Amino acid sequence: MNKADFVTSIFLVLFGLIVFIMSVRMPTFQETGASVYSAPGIVPGILGIILSFMGLILLVRSLIRKGYKIRISSQKIRVFLRSGSIKRLFIALFLSIFYVVLLGEISYFLLTAMYILVFIFAFEFEFRKNVRSQAKILLFALFEAVFIAASISYVFQYLFLVGLP
Amino acid sequence: MLEGWAQIGHELSKFLTPRLIFDVIWSTQLGIIVGMLPGLTATMGVALMTTLTYKFASSHAVLILICMYVGAIFGGSRTAILINIPGTPANAATTVDGNPLTKQGKAGYAMGLATTGSFLGSIVGVLMLAVFTPIIGEFALSFHSFEYFWLAIFGVIICGTLTAPKDPLKGWISGFFGLFVATIGMEAMHAFRRFSFGSVDLAGGIQLLPAMIGVFGFSEILMVMKQPAIKIVSSKIERVFPRLRDVAKYWKTVVRSGFIGTVIGAIPGVGEDIGAWVSYDFARRSSKEKEKFGKGSVEGLMAAETGNNAAVAGAVIPVLSLAVPGSAPAAVLLGAMLIHGIRPGPLLMIENPGFVYEVVSMFLLATCAMFILGLSLIRVFVKMIAVPRQKLMPVIFALCVIGSYALSAKMFDILVMAVFGLIGYAMKEMDYPVAPVVLGIILGGLLDSNLRRSLVLTNGNILPLFTRPISLVLFLFVLFTVLSRTRWFRNFLETLKIKIVRKAILREKI
Repeated sequence: MNKADFVTSIFLVLFGLIVFIMSVRMPTFQETGASVYSAPGIVPGILGIILSFMGLILLVRSLIRKGYKIRISSQKIRVFLRSGSIKRLFIALFLSIFYVVLLGEISYFLLTAMYILVFIFAFEFEFRKNVRSQAKILLFALFEAVFIAASISYVFQYLFLVGLP
Repeated sequence: MLEGWAQIGHELSKFLTPRLIFDVIWSTQLGIIVGMLPGLTATMGVALMTTLTYKFASSHAVLILICMYVGAIFGGSRTAILINIPGTPANAATTVDGNPLTKQGKAGYAMGLATTGSFLGSIVGVLMLAVFTPIIGEFALSFHSFEYFWLAIFGVIICGTLTAPKDPLKGWISGFFGLFVATIGMEAMHAFRRFSFGSVDLAGGIQLLPAMIGVFGFSEILMVMKQPAIKIVSSKIERVFPRLRDVAKYWKTVVRSGFIGTVIGAIPGVGEDIGAWVSYDFARRSSKEKEKFGKGSVEGLMAAETGNNAAVAGAVIPVLSLAVPGSAPAAVLLGAMLIHGIRPGPLLMIENPGFVYEVVSMFLLATCAMFILGLSLIRVFVKMIAVPRQKLMPVIFALCVIGSYALSAKMFDILVMAVFGLIGYAMKEMDYPVAPVVLGIILGGLLDSNLRRSLVLTNGNILPLFTRPISLVLFLFVLFTVLSRTRWFRNFLETLKIKIVRKAILREKI
């Protein structure tokens, strides 16, 4: 965690400084007769300084705990990418982001049904096994995908009168 | 006092229609199911339900959300007892004694006790909600800009400290990040677009609900999918109804845990999990059967479940009286109230005095429904725990997406949900609590407007922020909370303690 803290702290210090600089550059509206203390940059400026300061404490702490000793090797990356949990995470993340990106491009019902179907398929289907023996999984996934997509579409479009994305 | 109870009775009678009773039953049962399923939290449930009820009348929608909230916090005890995995973080303390009882073949008995504990805890919480909300609300009428500024800082600091007990600095960073997020968009005094980079969507600000669905929903989906699959071992469920003497034997524990749970729940942003742990700890310390704790103690199980459900009503006390949420689901509830045009806070007792009693009666209905549903249909609904995550999570994500979109029909809100989901996931991986971010987003507006207003009023003089009595108390609270987590301050206190003890010994010798 110290290595992660080291990287995050640098990001936090920079982030806080950027927020502070942007806040200082905001107009004060004094020319309109407003008080300088009502300037829009006051609060974000203070928050920027506080975030930078806390990032600095985190940085010092991670330096004391030798969090700067980050060694990245191709083998470490390979082991990381091959672990089951990372594979599951990336599949879920990729499918979900892809679903969000395609929203509005394809029919909502079709996209949602496809997303649910592919999600279940990606985690339940075993390529080593015979397809016929897994027909039940596919059929159930298809049923769930169509049923859920149709239910959500119906409820939001006709009961809540929300235009689907 | 009597007038208040008569008002509660009147409000309760208004809800006793077949339609509303039906809504109470299904929403509480849905809450129990949401709480029961590992990976689905009460916050996620209330947030998704907010999007599903936003077309309803305000009191109708709030009733459903409260039922969902009460049901979900209770529902998590099912998985905690049966498979040693808390359905929601609030039920973590339940696993300690609940699961050992299952291993002893007393799963049904444990679930019955948990249900009774939750019911009694909720009743204690509701009573305190009815009594203290008007009092706190009246007291809060004396708050001005200076006090509101410190209240926002106090909320973020205390929430950060208690949700990240190992490393409060990370909790505070989360809270201040949330406060910053709230400053994005058009500000109220000069209509200036802060951090919008020319984007019309960003100028509108980051909406609470999509951000909350992201950090609690999407990030949780990613966390659940990353973890290895949970193996469900079926347990035989026998007698569910608890014996009256078992409950009566621990009445002191129930009252104490109910009180502690409510008080902890009322602390901004702390939540039901801490309420349960503190209640459990107090019960263990004062128990005559300390050795049974952790091995299937009935007292321990009762304390944990009473504590977490009492905290639910406790978390709503600051929502109604100060417009500051006591827990993450209460934050969503606050957001939902605002969406429905209800303005919680000190003025609520003046503008809409009946609403507090309406909420009390909603809680009573939800509590009764939880008790009845909790003791019935156990065998049927327990089977739902076995639903595989890969079948459940895409449905939840589809609801997260449409839920974020439904409020204002903006694709930008879906983007906000996705981005905050990724931020929430990264934060959880690096041990940053996400609840302070949400609290920060809620309190950000309060802090921004009140700090600037107080500076304008005093022409830049910051002294009133430290000299007004309530401000001073809040400032000292914040200062002590921060200092008490630093090593040098703890060393200083230790040295001071040694000096005092030495002086006392010397005096005794003389």
